[in-house]
Amino acid sequence: MHNVWLIARREYVERIRTRGFLITTVMIPLIMGGLLYGSVFVNSKSAPAAHIALVSADTQLALDLQSELQQQQAVRMAQPNSSKVTRLTVDAMGIGPDTRTILDEELRSGDLDGYLWMMPASTVAKSEPSRPTFLFTPRSSEQDSLRSTLASALGPVLMRRQLANRGILASDANLILQPVDIGITQSAHRDNRESSQVGVFILFFLMYMVIMLYGMNVARSIIEEKTSRIFEVMLATIRPEEMMAGKILGVGSVGLTQVALWLTAGLVLTAGGQGIHVVLTLAQVLYFFVYFILGYAFYSSIAAGLGAMTNSEQELQQLNLFLVLPLLVCFATLMSVLTYPDSTMARVLALIPPFTPLLMYLRVSLGHPASWEIALSIVLTSASIYVVVWVSSRIYRVGVLMYGKRPTLPELLRWLKYS
Amino acid sequence: MSIVQLQNIRKVYDTKVAVEDLSFTIEPGTMFGLLGPNGSGKTSSIRMMIGITVPDSGTVSLFDKPFTRSALGRVGYLPEERGLYKKMNVLAQLTFLGQLHGLSAAVAARRATLWCERLDIVEAISKKTEDLSKGMQQKIQFIAALLHDPDLILMDEPFSGLDPVNAFLLMSTLVDLCSIGKAVIFSTHRMDQVEKFCNSIALIHRGHLILSGSMREIKSGYPRNRILIHYEGDDAFLQHRCIENVTRYNGHAEIRLRPSATLADDAQSLLTKAIQHARVSRFQVMEPTLEEIFIEKVQETLPVKTGKLSMAQLEEEDGGELDA
Repeated sequence: MHNVWLIARREYVERIRTRGFLITTVMIPLIMGGLLYGSVFVNSKSAPAAHIALVSADTQLALDLQSELQQQQAVRMAQPNSSKVTRLTVDAMGIGPDTRTILDEELRSGDLDGYLWMMPASTVAKSEPSRPTFLFTPRSSEQDSLRSTLASALGPVLMRRQLANRGILASDANLILQPVDIGITQSAHRDNRESSQVGVFILFFLMYMVIMLYGMNVARSIIEEKTSRIFEVMLATIRPEEMMAGKILGVGSVGLTQVALWLTAGLVLTAGGQGIHVVLTLAQVLYFFVYFILGYAFYSSIAAGLGAMTNSEQELQQLNLFLVLPLLVCFATLMSVLTYPDSTMARVLALIPPFTPLLMYLRVSLGHPASWEIALSIVLTSASIYVVVWVSSRIYRVGVLMYGKRPTLPELLRWLKYS
Repeated sequence: MSIVQLQNIRKVYDTKVAVEDLSFTIEPGTMFGLLGPNGSGKTSSIRMMIGITVPDSGTVSLFDKPFTRSALGRVGYLPEERGLYKKMNVLAQLTFLGQLHGLSAAVAARRATLWCERLDIVEAISKKTEDLSKGMQQKIQFIAALLHDPDLILMDEPFSGLDPVNAFLLMSTLVDLCSIGKAVIFSTHRMDQVEKFCNSIALIHRGHLILSGSMREIKSGYPRNRILIHYEGDDAFLQHRCIENVTRYNGHAEIRLRPSATLADDAQSLLTKAIQHARVSRFQVMEPTLEEIFIEKVQETLPVKTGKLSMAQLEEEDGGELDA
């Protein structure tokens, strides 16, 4: 055990010190965070703003509309997802002799995004109930959408007028026109579902990436030691199994360190920020580490076997498939599991050891797997890790001392029989 | 007490027999030469002595006990293929390797520094291994094998690629260790090195032991029928009747005398003859060299081939095979 610890510590210390580790540790969250913040930033910038003018001979109408628009805007801003709400700046004005010319001029210069010309109800035929007419002149087709905003504000304004005409008190009118608000209550476990999905999704990616990256690192470092022939020195002192275990633990701890750093940085950064709310429960983080460790152990053991079989990176690339394929399957089913975490397919796939770490983690985070399913998945994966480690260490033991051509399958099977 | 004892060990890789029925014993204080052409089973034998591979049959005993991994703490090994962690700092590397052999970090670091001083590479201590010359890396590896003060030192081709000065430095270090009772095994195909330093040898060829024992015993079994002569002038004396075979070089010749009961007298008469014709600056009567003995032995055990074999041919013949 002491030897395993020595090997693992060397592997850990040497790796942590490299420039590569520093770069990936700093750059990847910077890039990811940059992308996230960037998109939020772009969203908030592009959160459309509009400056419109309301023109009416009946100044009271213009003022009423102005206040209604502002009120509705305030309501919309208070709702979640408010970043998409157009921020209106509204001017109300009467009609002067050259009002239209001035407004047209402002439209052209871009100071104004549109103006609403309100004609009072025609006074010619008083008997017929007529309504004022409205003409909206947008600066460009982009501002067309403002029409519906204006229309929805005009409705209550005009209705309030009608009601006032029929002798109803303004306070009563407000009561009548009170908009209906349907509250939303959510069942407890669905709380914050959307934002937690984002968090889980990010962790899924993280797990996928780190398992992949560090699994390959294990294989690569074995090949490196094979080419530098350090094995002979090491094997004259310690067992191949100890060496493999130390290597896997050391490289894995580097991965864990990196993930922990990223998570901490992520939590710190998002804690103060608005717009990105990555909500993760403690259980989700715990399960993340459980399944991350299982996944890493599984795949890095395979990688150790692959590394021991091959003599160069190129040869490793050819065998890469054994590592990548199961991970790709997880990826292919990601969307469907994400949407229906409790479907039969998801339930079956999540119990198959190579897929368990990634998919069961998704299910645990987003779906409702029975506790026996969680337990079974952990037992099955652990058992298969045991098998993989056994096979890999056999291959490793013989393979690390084999230079030259890559072994054929029958040769590999023979290796397994060597004591 | 014996340091290493091999009894009838045999190892087969897939279809190739690497070592067959190999037995020998190494006492403390011995400089033991394990000889043979490339691919003859030297490395395989050494690997079995330190448990990297396990013999298919036969027994390996270290320090009078059947092999266990715990004995490895008393063994230092310099493999044929040198290997160090390239990116690692030399001191950290030596400390790490010392720790694997059970030293504490402090002791390992202190000894590493002492050894670097002894082998004249103090300036390397703070450097990265990959920044060192090949010769320096080899010295580092050499130190790594000796750091834990092993009682059995295994050196697989220790001087390949070293300049004469450094080779001598390492050799005299090994001789010193030997004189304080350590056993040193070194495997090589350079017979001349072995001849100079080893007091005991084993010759193996194609996995078979063909000769073993102390150097003096082996040599004394052969007649002193070799003559080395350096001369200037007429070489007509080389036609002398008691010469069986002669190889001429520029200014000197190697002579093999005809087998006879009076070899010493033959040599004297040859010298007299030579002095009459040429100016002799050196005249030496010797046993056959180890190389010659080896070739002779190989020819005895193999189906006889026509012509004279040389080491180079032997190596060519075997070199293609896997030295696993």
